Amino acid sequence: MRRDNNATEPPVLRRIAVGRRHVLAGAAAGLARIASPTGAARAASIVPTGKLVLAWHTNIAARWLDPQQHDGTASPDNFLMALHDAMIKNFRDVRYDHPALAERYEFAEDAKSATFWLRPGTRFHDGTPVTPADVKWSYEHYRGAWGEILRDRTQGIELVDDKIVRIHFNEPFLDFPILLGTGNVCGAGWVVPAKYYEKTGQSGFLQKPIGAGPYKLVAQQPGVKLEFEAFADYYRPVHIKQLTMVSVPEAATRVAMLERGEADIVYFVPGELLERVKNNPKVRLAPVVSGNWWLEFPGFQNPANPFNDKRVRQAISLAIDREAINQAECGGLGVVDGNWINDDVEYGLDWPKWEHDLAKAKQLMAEAGHPNGFSVDWVTPVPNFYSRGERIVSQLQSIGIRSRLQVMERGVYLKKMQGGIREWPGVQIIFNAARIGGTWSNWYDTMFKCGGYQSKDFFCVKDLDDQFQKYLVSYNRTERKNLAEQIQRTILESYYFVPVFRHAFVNAIGPRVAARQWQDVFPTITSGYAYPWEDVQLV
Amino acid sequence: MGQFMIRRTLYAVVTLFILSLTIFTVVRLTGDPVTLMAEPGAQEADLARVRAEWGLDQPWPIQYAAFVANVVTGELGQSFNYEMPVSTLYFQRLPNSLELALTATLISFLIGIPAGILSAVRVNSVWDHVGKTIALLGLSIPGFWLGLVMILVFSVWLEWLPTSGQGDWRNLVMPAVALGWYFAASLLRLTRSSMLEVLNSEYIKLARLKGLPAFAVIAVHAFKNALIPVLTLAGINLVVMLNAAVIIEVIFAWPGIGRLLYEGIFQRDFPLVQGVVMEAGIMIVLINLIVDILYAYIDPRIRLTK
Repeated sequence: MRRDNNATEPPVLRRIAVGRRHVLAGAAAGLARIASPTGAARAASIVPTGKLVLAWHTNIAARWLDPQQHDGTASPDNFLMALHDAMIKNFRDVRYDHPALAERYEFAEDAKSATFWLRPGTRFHDGTPVTPADVKWSYEHYRGAWGEILRDRTQGIELVDDKIVRIHFNEPFLDFPILLGTGNVCGAGWVVPAKYYEKTGQSGFLQKPIGAGPYKLVAQQPGVKLEFEAFADYYRPVHIKQLTMVSVPEAATRVAMLERGEADIVYFVPGELLERVKNNPKVRLAPVVSGNWWLEFPGFQNPANPFNDKRVRQAISLAIDREAINQAECGGLGVVDGNWINDDVEYGLDWPKWEHDLAKAKQLMAEAGHPNGFSVDWVTPVPNFYSRGERIVSQLQSIGIRSRLQVMERGVYLKKMQGGIREWPGVQIIFNAARIGGTWSNWYDTMFKCGGYQSKDFFCVKDLDDQFQKYLVSYNRTERKNLAEQIQRTILESYYFVPVFRHAFVNAIGPRVAARQWQDVFPTITSGYAYPWEDVQLV
Repeated sequence: MGQFMIRRTLYAVVTLFILSLTIFTVVRLTGDPVTLMAEPGAQEADLARVRAEWGLDQPWPIQYAAFVANVVTGELGQSFNYEMPVSTLYFQRLPNSLELALTATLISFLIGIPAGILSAVRVNSVWDHVGKTIALLGLSIPGFWLGLVMILVFSVWLEWLPTSGQGDWRNLVMPAVALGWYFAASLLRLTRSSMLEVLNSEYIKLARLKGLPAFAVIAVHAFKNALIPVLTLAGINLVVMLNAAVIIEVIFAWPGIGRLLYEGIFQRDFPLVQGVVMEAGIMIVLINLIVDILYAYIDPRIRLTK
C-alpha cells in the first residue's frame, strides 16, 4: 500500500522561492498528479468493497466528530481523517503540509499571509460543493484548541475568487502552516459546510455531522459505535465500502475480537496481552512509536532540594536502565532515544542514547555529598502507568535513593499539575509523558516554560525562558532553528529533564487487512492511528 | 390513608433532595472536568473558554439551581461529552439495559429460586451443600473475571458466541449470565433462608399434619409466602442491574446505562453522572414508595404507626 500510494502522492515537499513568496512546488506538482485525469480516473475505477471494523480503545466523545471543537489532543484526528478533510494536513510521512482540499498553497516569504487554491470539484457528503466561503466560515468560527491565538494573529480572510482564499496576519506567523496542518493539534483548517452547520447548530451537527472526507457517517450510537460508508465523490480512491468504529474499552475484549475476526484493527494492546497477540500467527502487532517519557524534578531550583545539584540529576540518568524499562513495559517495542521531545515535530533535536553506568552514578552521588543516597518523598508516574513508576523506584535504589510510588487518578493528577509547586512539596520526581504535535515549541511551552500548562512554577529557568521568548518573536528561520536547538541542548546537558524512552502505542491488525508490514496500515508518522483511511485495503 | 401517602411522598421528595445534593457535591469533589477534556498542549485560554461554555465558572449554588431545574423539567442537563440532553442519552440506552437486566433477572430466577428451594427442603443434604457452594461462588467470583473467562472459553476457544457488542440473542448470553450469576447467588441465599423460616412455621406443620402432599405444602403454602421478600429483593436487583451493571457492560461493550455511567465518571461528565444517578434514585424511591403504599393498604397497622 505504501508503494501504491507513493505512486500517486508527492514526496516530502520542497520549498522554493518564487518572487516574494515561498511556493510549495512539490505540493503543486503532486496535486497536479492527483487531480490529473489519471488520478481522477483511478479514483473512479476503484469500487469500494467489504467492511472493516476498528475496535477503539476508549469511549467515543461526540466532539471528536466536529473539527470546530478540536480539543488539541491526539484523539480527534482518528475520526476527522475519516469524516472530514482539511486544506492541508499531516499525511503519511508529510508532517503537516500535505495538500488535501487545497490543491496547492503558498506561504508568503514575509510570513504575513497564506494563500490556498481549492481543489476543483470537491464536495461535502450532502453533495454541496466545498467553497472558499466554507473555508472562511470554518476558520473564523473555529473555537477549539489554538483558536484564540489564530484569532489574535489573523487580520482577515480574503476570498480572492471562487477557488482562492488568502489569510492575512497582523504580524509574521511562521508557525501557521504547522498549526493549521497538524490534525492532532488544531482543527481550524478542517472545512465544515457553513450553511449546514449554521442551520443545525453545534449540537445538531454532532448528531449528523457532514464533512468532505473519504467516509460519510451513516449511523451512530453516541459513544458506542460509528458506521461510515465510502464517499463516492472523494477525490482519492477509497478502497473499503463500510467502515465501523466501535468503542471497546476493555483491552482483553478487543484482543478477543481480533482473534475471532470480529475486529480487523484494534488500538492499544497493553503489555500483559502482547505475548498473546505475538503468539497468534493470524494477527500482527503494530507497535507505533508514540509519546516520550522523562523524569522531572519540580522545585529543583531550590538550593535545599537535592536535585539542585546537576551531579545528582546526572546520577539518576546514569542509574536508569532504559532498555530494561522498554522491555518490561512495551515488550521492547518502544524506542530508547535521547531527547524528551519527539523527533516528528519541527526542530525536534536528535540526541544520542544515554549511558547506563551505575559505578559512575554512585561516584557522582558521592561527589555531590550523598554517598548513602537520600530519600525522595514521592515518585509519581502519569496515570495509569503505575508499573512504570515502580520500575523507577526500584532502579533508583541502586544508587541509594529511597522513594515511594504515588498513585493518582488521572483527574487528580492533572489538577495537581496545574496547581504548581505548592501541590508538590518536599522532594519529588514526576515520571511525565506526552505526545504533542506540530513543533518543539509546543512541548517547551507546555512542559518546561515558567507558567506553562504543566510546568507552572516547577522549573523556571530564566535564561531558557528568555531565549524562548526570543524564539517566539523572531521571524528569521535560521535564528529560530538555532535557538530551538540551543534550548533543547541546554535542557539535556543540564539534566533538567532526564529522558527515559519513547513508548510504543501498540495496535494490532487482523488477517483480513491487506498489509505486507504493519507500517502499511499505520503509515502516518505523526499519529498512532491507521489513517489515511481511504488507503486501507482488505485482502 | 391519605395522610400516610402524603407523608411518604414527602419523605421521598426529601430523599431525592438529599440525593441530588450529595451527587452534585461528590462529582465536583472529583476534580475539574476541563482538565480531562484537554491534554497537554491546550492553552489556559482554551480551558477558561470551555469552563465558561459549560457554566463551570459559575458559583456552586447557581450550578446546583440549574441542575435541579433540569431534573424538574426532566431534561437532566446537557452532557459535556455528547452535547446531548442526558435524558435523551439515558432513554436511548434504557432499552439495551432493560434487555440485559431482564434476561439476567430471568437467569438469576432460574438458578437462584429452584436451588434455594431445594436447598431449604433438603437442608444439610448434598443438594443443600451444592446450593451453598453455588451461592458462595456467585458472591465471591468477580463479574469481570467471570466475563473474561467466558469470552476466552465460549468466544475464542469454542467459537460459539460473539465476544461483545449488541446483536442477536447470542450477544446477550454471556453478559446476562455474568450479570445474573451474582444476583442468582443472593436470591438463592434469601430463598433458602426465607423458605426455612416458613417451613418451620405452625401453619406449614398443620398442613403437613392434615396430610397434604409434600409438593402442595412446599409449592402452594410455603413458597408463596416465602416469595414476598424474594420478590422485593428481585425488584431492587433489577433497578441495580438496569443502572449500575458498569463492569459487565464495559467488558462486553454492551451499550447500556451502566456503561454510560462509566463513561460519565471517566470523563468527569458531571451532568451525565448526576443524571444517571438521579434516574436510578428516582426509580428506587418510586418503587419503595409504591411498595410502602401497598403494604399500608394491605396492612392497616403500618399506616397507623407514627
